[in-house]
Amino acid sequence: MNIRQARVDDLQGMQACNLQNLPENYTMKYYLYHALTWPQLSYVAEDHKGRIVGYILAKMEEDVGSEDEQHGHVTSISVLRSYRRLGLAKRLMVQSQEAMATVYRASYVSLHVRKSNRAALALYKGTLGFAVKDIEKKYYADGEDAYAMRLSLKYLSR
Amino acid sequence: MPPAGIPAKRALPSKEASLFKELLNLYETRQLKKGLKTADQILKKFPEHGGIKPLLHSEKTICMKGLVLTHMGRREEGIELVKKGVRLDLTSHICWHVFGLIQKGEKNYEEALKSYTQALRFDKENLNILRDAAHLQTQLRQYDGLVETRHTLLRLRPNLRQNWIGLATAYHLNDNLTEAKKVLEHYEMTLKNIPDYDVEHSEVLLYHVRVLEDLGEFSEALSLLDVNAKNRAIIDRVAIMEFRARLLSKLGSTDDAEHTWQALLEQNADSYDYYKGFFTNRGIDLNHITDENRVQTLQAFREFTTQLPRAATPRRLALSVSTGDEFKELAESYLVAGLKKGIPSLFADIKSLYDDPQKLEVIESIVETHRGELAAPTPTPESAEPPTTYLWTLYFLAQHYSHIGQHTRSLGLLEEALNHTPTLPELHMLQARVLKRLGDPFGAARCMDEARVLDLQDRFLNTKCGKYRLRAGMQEEAQEVLGLFTKKDAQSPGADLEDMQSALFILEDADSYRRSGNLAMALKRYAALQKVYSEMEDDQYDFHGYSMRKSTINIYMNMISWGDRLRSHPGFVHAAIAASEIFVQLHDDPTIATRPSSTANMTDAEKKAKKKAKKAAAQKVEAKKAPAASTNSNEDKGIEPPSTKDEDADGMKLLQCTDPLERAAKFLSPLASLTKDNIKAWIAIYDVAIRRKKYLQAAQALKRARQLDSEYSPLHVRLIHFRKTVSSLPQEPPAPVGPVVTAAAADLVPADLSLETYNSQYLQKHSTSPRAILASAQALHILGAPVEEVESTTFGVLNPEVERDIRSAMEVLAFLKSIKSTRSEEFRTACDAKFELSTVFKSTEEITALRKSAFAPPVDPPEANGDAERETAS
Repeated sequence: MNIRQARVDDLQGMQACNLQNLPENYTMKYYLYHALTWPQLSYVAEDHKGRIVGYILAKMEEDVGSEDEQHGHVTSISVLRSYRRLGLAKRLMVQSQEAMATVYRASYVSLHVRKSNRAALALYKGTLGFAVKDIEKKYYADGEDAYAMRLSLKYLSR
Repeated sequence: MPPAGIPAKRALPSKEASLFKELLNLYETRQLKKGLKTADQILKKFPEHGGIKPLLHSEKTICMKGLVLTHMGRREEGIELVKKGVRLDLTSHICWHVFGLIQKGEKNYEEALKSYTQALRFDKENLNILRDAAHLQTQLRQYDGLVETRHTLLRLRPNLRQNWIGLATAYHLNDNLTEAKKVLEHYEMTLKNIPDYDVEHSEVLLYHVRVLEDLGEFSEALSLLDVNAKNRAIIDRVAIMEFRARLLSKLGSTDDAEHTWQALLEQNADSYDYYKGFFTNRGIDLNHITDENRVQTLQAFREFTTQLPRAATPRRLALSVSTGDEFKELAESYLVAGLKKGIPSLFADIKSLYDDPQKLEVIESIVETHRGELAAPTPTPESAEPPTTYLWTLYFLAQHYSHIGQHTRSLGLLEEALNHTPTLPELHMLQARVLKRLGDPFGAARCMDEARVLDLQDRFLNTKCGKYRLRAGMQEEAQEVLGLFTKKDAQSPGADLEDMQSALFILEDADSYRRSGNLAMALKRYAALQKVYSEMEDDQYDFHGYSMRKSTINIYMNMISWGDRLRSHPGFVHAAIAASEIFVQLHDDPTIATRPSSTANMTDAEKKAKKKAKKAAAQKVEAKKAPAASTNSNEDKGIEPPSTKDEDADGMKLLQCTDPLERAAKFLSPLASLTKDNIKAWIAIYDVAIRRKKYLQAAQALKRARQLDSEYSPLHVRLIHFRKTVSSLPQEPPAPVGPVVTAAAADLVPADLSLETYNSQYLQKHSTSPRAILASAQALHILGAPVEEVESTTFGVLNPEVERDIRSAMEVLAFLKSIKSTRSEEFRTACDAKFELSTVFKSTEEITALRKSAFAPPVDPPEANGDAERETAS
């Protein structure tokens, strides 16, 4: 599958992919906001026909506290079930992280995951190397808690 | 500014003047309650009806009061006041500005721009108004005016970067790249100290490089890039390398370019664009490999495979490039590795190689051989492959045989696999897909449900199940299952999916209703998709200002181009064509709208659901009303109109509209310029134009369609329809249209041929095509042939030498029903016999029974089921 930076023309495909895979969904405006603020950070995987089969939608954290360092945040990442076991999520994540570190000097990347989502948790922990940093109570609209996870990007700093 | 020529007596006394200033401040900070009080305080002293003439600044105050009220949720009252204020003083920039704000909030950009233009007449240098006007001009693509406005803004505030960028992009949008370049150069010269490591500055420079590249000034672009990359003013490494590789290639610096492409591939070894760039630089077009460069290309891919062992792309692309024994060798290792790893997408990945029949054969034999080896007993248990490899091999072969039309064989393989492992959702999903292809949507829905219950946490399986239910005409059951993942506080699962702009759901639901004969709901859903596209178009608005401040200009320019092409998206095109077909149907037979049949097909369950939806809608409106009543609150309700209640819950109003053709024309209008290569769009445009008596447009549409595919069967029907329509006009339309139309009709169908002969020639030419047979029967019907002749023509579809195709047989059946043929039942049973595995030709009673059986059998252990369901409740 072809891995490349997300373009504006991909956003509808990303939105469709997200709606098919995950319970947290967003309207087009939010995708545009990501792409037009941090055009370097979002990536897609597409098949031979140009259909989006996986994506990472990412941003930089805007409200960084005085104690905290610059860091990136993964708003959403997913791969269609029929395109799993190709390592696409990892490839997408790696591209995004490189850009976070080089363009925005991010020192780590964060994300949230539903406490009950074992499959996603396994991906973030096992394959992608994230660690649970915190539990955010009632993070989701339906009252479910989230794990706040982090991965250091120090190894990428140059 | 106080314009000259306004009588001094119109100035407010100082006390009220400062009160007015305070009012503006209170509005800016959204202290609405206080603002309202202040407005009333001024108006008390200077009421609007002064007797002689509106006095002093009361009209401004009235407008501001209206604006404040609008924000407070007292919208109608507020807007009335604003309009009154404008009427009282047509020369106040504040009044026009406020009026423009209201119109902008209603997304009525054209009228808003008119108001802003008025406001600017009386306050030429008002920065806020100029900025808003620029945004409106961009949204409306009025680029001449935009250049002018951006010029003024830059002249007034040359110290702001966004004003320079604004002017450069305005020129760019207005197709004047040379001026855009000059503005950027000028801007860079005004810069004194550039902050280190500034992303925004970096983006401006990258935009400058792009402008130079687009102008064809490659070496200037390259040196600008290199200088600024070196001094770290441009910091986006990927962008630097991409520009560099491309520019070097264009400049013919082949070696340097190759290094850069190589570096990019080390950064991302799965980018097709990079491979494409790498080979183009060597003069090789990956899509058209010749015998001369094949060896060299394969050699390069081999090197990449060694250099970048983790990358999948070079191995895969090598399969496209290689031939003969070499292909066989490469394919074998690729396929066997994929099967071992259990990659579900392996077949989808290699399917495109089947364009070459030899490759298809080779792949089939490789995988069949592999399957044979796995099935054979192994001498030692250690050397045995894990059983999953065998499973994935069966899965691959099942896809392969279904793809080449051997569905029964495919189902047999799947059965074997399912006996082996009944818990792999992929197998059930594929079974569903094969049944779908065989024309059994109910069996397909059942299999998809079986897949879904195996992993209740996976929304992908859930979505598929919902989609398959819609394909089987089970709208309510679809929403039920989709509702396991939609927001619980939404009015209905469908409403949440609509809010989230799910084109997939909206279109599948619309098509499903259409197939069930519920044209009202179908139209309602197609209109919902139309609304989604309007929202996306509006979404651009905020970025006309935002991106100038953020300096993300390259991607902003791409957004503008995306916005221009937005409605060329297949989803929109599908909705526009489908809706226009229904509108045409309504025009041809208005009784459809009042006849109960459009909702008669509703089951009791549907009726119940409808009632429920109505009730829920009413409750939602009530809930919204409640807080709005307390207008004393300080809460800002914004300037955009609140979403109104759904006055047409079942789509009946839409179905009974009095202007179906105008609505169809409006829905289709973007297609004429955006989807010029879509023959279906031209047919739809014709169908609407000819009924609106737009003969020129109709002729033009047919000409376009003919250029794309002169033998397209729906076109044949229209050609006959057109000439018949034109020749039976009581008189030729007046010049210049008339003669052109007459000439076009003669050009489209040879004038010396009778339409009957023309039609029978077409049928002879395409005697084995079911669609052509249908088209000629439709043409006969148009020409007024006896119904027996029309019927017997359609029955030709059943002849053994005619291509077997379920969909066209369904279309024939629908046509027979539409002409109220007495033989439609006969045709249906004949099809049911001919397409043995399909269920779409069953009787209504049989179909009702099939729908009831389209679910997974409830065999899951109850505790596991309940547990997973709780977890998916998101």
